[in-house]
Amino acid sequence: MEAVIYICLGLMLAFGVMAVMLHSMTKSAIALAAASAALGIIMYEMGSVWAALIEISVCSGLVTVIFISAISLSNMEKKELEKVYEDKKRMSLLPVILIVSGVVLVIAAMALGVSLPKVDHAANVAGDLREILWNNRQADIWGQIIIMITGSAAVVVLFRERD
Amino acid sequence: MNVFGFENIILIVGFLLIISGCYCLIRTYHLLKITIGIELAMKAVTLFITLAGFVNGNVDLAQSFVITTIVIEVVVTVVAAGIAINLYRKYGSMDIRNLRKLKG
Repeated sequence: MEAVIYICLGLMLAFGVMAVMLHSMTKSAIALAAASAALGIIMYEMGSVWAALIEISVCSGLVTVIFISAISLSNMEKKELEKVYEDKKRMSLLPVILIVSGVVLVIAAMALGVSLPKVDHAANVAGDLREILWNNRQADIWGQIIIMITGSAAVVVLFRERD
Repeated sequence: MNVFGFENIILIVGFLLIISGCYCLIRTYHLLKITIGIELAMKAVTLFITLAGFVNGNVDLAQSFVITTIVIEVVVTVVAAGIAINLYRKYGSMDIRNLRKLKG
């Protein structure tokens, strides 16, 4: 299990950085989808099966479709590509920042002896995800419904063709 | 005490993803790229919530939070994509500096 998690963490970080740094928007969207898929595998390995399923189908599938639609609806012109190129120049520092941050975080963790509490599988107090969603987190369900209605209204308003 | 246990590595990778997302937010003017930065930071948050559930042994509660986060993530993406397309239709580019010219 741990080996899969380590590999997927590495892939997730690599694809995430690629999504931010890549020149092409389409490739960025695909890299983000790959990062989502890696996250889904990590979640599955850690026992969050339903969340992993939704992560892979929605974040890796639907969100990528939304990005590709937005990219294809806006035929990128040369002017736009030049802006992306400027982005590429601006992003060139990111790998250095990440390496420095990573080293600092590892040194800080070692110096402070940071360690998470031991995983307590015996204390699995939860029952069923459906029960928790419907009984304990009902406010979240209502919030989600309101957010989805807002999103639908936004789609109708923002994607409307002008006369 | 194992500093290099996978829980700590998840924390470090999560922080690095948040740094990448925030750097993208700061350094780019392309609205879709900014949305990708937000998405990346939210993925790190999802990872943290999953880790919290795993460590506490309360995976199902964490899953319910993750599902809420994913719904919010999708709606944020849809709204940002809609704004980006409208921006492109109006100004021919997705540069967020054009948003300053909008009235109302």
